[in-house]
Amino acid sequence: MITLKINGLETTVEEGTTILEAAKFLGFPIPTLCHMEGLRSYGACRLCIVEIGEGTKTKIVSSCTYPVEEGLHVRTSSSRVMRARKMIIELLLASSPQSKTIQDIASEFNVKQQRFRQEHEDCILCGLCVRMCEEQMVAKAIGFRGRGENRSIGTPFDKQSEKCRLCGGCMYVCPVCSLRCTYTEPDKAICGGCGNHYVPCIEKEQFDDLMCYMEPCVECEISND
Amino acid sequence: MLKVSSIDELKELFGMVSTNHDQSRPHIVICAGTACQASGANDIIRVAKKYILQNQLLDTISLRITGCHGFCEMGPFILTQPQGAFYHKVTIYNINRIIDAVIADDYVEDLLYRDPKTNIKYNKQEDIPFFKKQQRTIFSKNQEIDPIRIDDYIANDGYKALYKVFSNFSPEKVIEEVKVSGLRGRGGAGFPTGFKWELIANQPSDNGKYVVCNADEGDPGAYMDRSLLEGNPFSIIEGMTIGAYATGANEGVIYVRNEYPLAIKHLIIALRQAREMGLLGENILGSSFSFDIRIVKGAGAFVCGEETALMRSIEGKVGEPRQRPPYPVQKGIRGNPTVINNVETWANISFIINMGATEYAKIGTDGNSGTKIFSLVGKIKNTGLIEVPMGISINEIVFDIGGGSPGDAKIKAVQTGGPSGGCIPVSKFDLLIDYDTLAKAGSIMGSGGMIVMDENTCMVDVARYFMDFLKAESCGKCYTCRKGTQRMYEILDDISRGKGTLEDLDLLEELALVVQDSTMCGLGQTASNPVLSTMQYFRAEYERHIIQKRCDAFVCKELTGAPCQTGCPVGTEAWRYIAHIARGEYEQAYLAIREANPFPSVCARVCNHQCEEHCRVKTSGGEALAIRSLKRFITDRVDPSIYKPERSTEIQKPPVAVIGAGPSGLTTAHYLSLLGYRVTIFDSEEKPGGMLFSTIPSYRLPRETINKEIDSLLNENITLKCNVALGIDVSIDQLFEDGFKAIMISIGAHKSKPLQLENEDADGVYPSIEFLKAYNIQGEQLARGRVGVIGGGNSALDAARTALRQKGVESVTILYRRTREEMPAFAEEIEAADQEGIDIQTLITPLKVITKNGVLSGLECCKNRLGEIDSSGRRKPVPIKDSEYTIELDTLIVAIGEDPGVDAIGPADSSNIDVTKWNTVKTDDNTLLTSRPGVFAAGDVVTGPNTIIDAIAAGKKAAIMIDRYLHGVELDQPVENKLPDVYIEPIEVESEDLSIIDRAETQMISVEKRRKNFNEVESVLSVLAARKEAGRCLRCDLEFTQPEEVDEECLVNEGGAT
Repeated sequence: MITLKINGLETTVEEGTTILEAAKFLGFPIPTLCHMEGLRSYGACRLCIVEIGEGTKTKIVSSCTYPVEEGLHVRTSSSRVMRARKMIIELLLASSPQSKTIQDIASEFNVKQQRFRQEHEDCILCGLCVRMCEEQMVAKAIGFRGRGENRSIGTPFDKQSEKCRLCGGCMYVCPVCSLRCTYTEPDKAICGGCGNHYVPCIEKEQFDDLMCYMEPCVECEISND
Repeated sequence: MLKVSSIDELKELFGMVSTNHDQSRPHIVICAGTACQASGANDIIRVAKKYILQNQLLDTISLRITGCHGFCEMGPFILTQPQGAFYHKVTIYNINRIIDAVIADDYVEDLLYRDPKTNIKYNKQEDIPFFKKQQRTIFSKNQEIDPIRIDDYIANDGYKALYKVFSNFSPEKVIEEVKVSGLRGRGGAGFPTGFKWELIANQPSDNGKYVVCNADEGDPGAYMDRSLLEGNPFSIIEGMTIGAYATGANEGVIYVRNEYPLAIKHLIIALRQAREMGLLGENILGSSFSFDIRIVKGAGAFVCGEETALMRSIEGKVGEPRQRPPYPVQKGIRGNPTVINNVETWANISFIINMGATEYAKIGTDGNSGTKIFSLVGKIKNTGLIEVPMGISINEIVFDIGGGSPGDAKIKAVQTGGPSGGCIPVSKFDLLIDYDTLAKAGSIMGSGGMIVMDENTCMVDVARYFMDFLKAESCGKCYTCRKGTQRMYEILDDISRGKGTLEDLDLLEELALVVQDSTMCGLGQTASNPVLSTMQYFRAEYERHIIQKRCDAFVCKELTGAPCQTGCPVGTEAWRYIAHIARGEYEQAYLAIREANPFPSVCARVCNHQCEEHCRVKTSGGEALAIRSLKRFITDRVDPSIYKPERSTEIQKPPVAVIGAGPSGLTTAHYLSLLGYRVTIFDSEEKPGGMLFSTIPSYRLPRETINKEIDSLLNENITLKCNVALGIDVSIDQLFEDGFKAIMISIGAHKSKPLQLENEDADGVYPSIEFLKAYNIQGEQLARGRVGVIGGGNSALDAARTALRQKGVESVTILYRRTREEMPAFAEEIEAADQEGIDIQTLITPLKVITKNGVLSGLECCKNRLGEIDSSGRRKPVPIKDSEYTIELDTLIVAIGEDPGVDAIGPADSSNIDVTKWNTVKTDDNTLLTSRPGVFAAGDVVTGPNTIIDAIAAGKKAAIMIDRYLHGVELDQPVENKLPDVYIEPIEVESEDLSIIDRAETQMISVEKRRKNFNEVESVLSVLAARKEAGRCLRCDLEFTQPEEVDEECLVNEGGAT
């Protein structure tokens, strides 16, 4: 058993537990995008970063991959963590504003504007689908290709995979892809179904009044009519 | 090959090898490292072999082909032993002379290395400045060893360390030695090697342990690891064997880039020889210790140099870092404890054991022991690999070993540590290099890349370049690293295109700090360094890109446009008139010149031609186009009256006063008059022209040229009032009372600075301005007998050459405190003075004016030498003790600079015009407005002594500002960047003309004909010469103006498809 302090609260957990699990056990919320119970931790989205250490010798690590250590001091939302986390959310918003998941996180952390050039990417390469396919569906039909800006997810050589059983697990876990959000029958949609094909509201402007779950958005008002 | 199966046999082998290796025989050593091979070493080797065989010299001389020696700039080179001579840039034609000389124990004098600057000849390699300050403990072995012969290695203390370890060291003792030595990982992070080894030695393992050599050297510009592997692969193998013995590992891996074919080849040969000799494999030297090494070739991903990614790559997976802990020493390759060290670290091991750890720890500084190999590249004279003790200063590396800048551009910064390193500015070059100080300065040691940058390097572009590299080479796993580098690149790219904003700069910094903080591996954590360090030290350069839309290094394409145009203070479209000259369209060429510059004929003679400084023919290694001569060709040929400026007929505009009728004042008055303002110009002299008349001698600028040009600028909107001096006849207050709505002060800088020496007021001592004015305006000849001129600027040269032409002058001597290279005067002026017989003495400081009865009789001076480099990057003149001497003089002219006569404006409290501590008028840089509303100032009175073209530019700007002021418009408006926008079809260049690379030089009249009169010295280019010269233009404008070619065939096809 390992004893550590999270946000000043001492706790004892089993060896091999990650900081994320320990924090959740204590009830400290840590946002995640690439983490899912039942799948191996990956540490790609960096949202779950926490500050470890004491005094001047602290560093930032991803809590989902960092195993607890004896006597470790963890802070889950120090100013240093929050500064980085907000920037990460801003980067996410700048690239994938249509994702309901990202919108929710942004709203939760009061990030209302992004300052970069607007993009509309439907993948943040969190790798949930790759791990889902490999670990739960035991298919290994898809994987990462390329590196840096050319990194992408797909089947080998983009050929239709014989391993793929079209189970849809990859789509189910995806926090970003538009396949989920453009569902045409709102009552079957996973996200609650505003039915938007594109989210028009969050470009460069502040969007706190335009989020569909806060105020009726245009699409919703039409469907209410 | 003999197999060694015990320690004693190894000892026997040492004896055998040393008797076989006769070192007293003459050797010629040819470097065949990759750099030398590229510059032709293979041919040299072939010819050398042939010569030796043909002349049956096999028994008299030995030929050794080795890896890199480091001085790659001078390759291919040959070293001779025992003479120790160093022959550089050897060709196949002189190799036979070198071989003959070696046999005769002699030197080939004319091929020996000479310092390009001092021209001193060096007989011995170790005396050459490049080698002298180095401490080549590891790297010097390269020149002793043929890397594919294990015998050579053994004969040079090879495997002595292994022998020592096996005969009396326990594994713990080896680790203790490495710990005591203080060796830190040479891969960049600087983790103490001994501690790492101890950690892994204490790790339990069932399936064995690994030692890994990280040779995934991917930094642009760094190649020391490659040179070690190519030149001395056995030292790495021996080091790894000792490391494995100490840590209990039984398998070794060398992870090397596939792009290093020669290194891989030499490694394969070396491993095979070591195995055959029994120095690798089962039961080494008869002990129970078994160890072997295999090579894994990396596919070239930069991130695979990161240790966790490297391990995955060795396992055959995608190179992608993972979270540490667990560290490789706990869980490495296939879950087994693994120790990973850099090539250079491994190369140090045998050296430490041989030398003894305590001795080794004495090299370098406390906490940073040993030597470090750097690859010194970029804008530096001596490109190559250097090995220096830790704690050496950057100054010593760049200036003493590297020889400083290769051209005349000043060195600005050095980039260390590869793409994730940072830039250190020249003001911090006294930093002592070690892991900790570099990190503190915002950079990293990295694997030892050192890229030197000069003024022609744009720091925004540097950051952009590295970010481009990193966004492609990030593994892409961490969102912050992948997206962060992309976004940082996006912002940097915007700035380099002139589209950035100051908010972008803040965002960039914020993002960079977050990427640094929140990324998992070393690549991402250091990826922000190029941005953060350039922003820390060169923020002004970023801001200049954003606000002024200027790239001072002329690198960022969209801010530079055509460099000749951007380089010109008034923005003359030089490319345009050059293109017209090439086409024979001289009138259009004149219009292009005149549109930007109201003084074309004056500038065609005396401009300092900043356009030529930036000409791309010059910056890409050739001779700049003779742009000023081409301008002279046009202005001499075309009637200026073809240019008819449009004058506004609006007459209601308020009156403006301009004080000072020099180039800037006249320019302002001219442009304001065209806008319809009534302008009154006041000048204290008899006629307008200011500096043009009073100080520039007529042999450079004939008087009628000035007169004509000034006449063409005047019109009925301008009233000229001469002999009216500010402060005496008029005052600012009075002018406002007289109804002037705006006042422009452009009274120039007409007060010579005094030497502040004793007896300076003696008869025969003149300030240069007074001396020049006396002749140019009153025709008074003040110089006589022996004339001395103190100073090195244009004013000094003008005074000296004017004095030479005066009656009763016997000789003229210029005295300057630095060297000729540092003289601020134009090079062509210095040369002309030289030709005319003026004695230019440098490194001299005047101490005392000597007088006889109140009349000058001589000057006491002392000699200087060049001392330390100051913050300007120049060496300071330092007086030499007891070097005082006296020269006899009849006339002394003091030309050490000028001050504006700001006292004419009146005291600041009554005039309300602020003055700087340099006695210049204080203005807002962007608006030229002084501290008093409605009063503007421009020209030398603001900048201090400056060029004519800068004065004209300031005058033009003042006209715009005064117009805005009188219209009540905001003065400070965003700058628009002007790019070439007129397409002029280039002429067909004959293929034989392409071979013309020499710059057209204008003819000077002969020294005899010009020495004693004031006739114009320079003549004009001929038509043929001018058009040929214009044909040399690279036409940088076409990049922006060339109409897109429409491929008709393509159009037809597309039409068919739809």
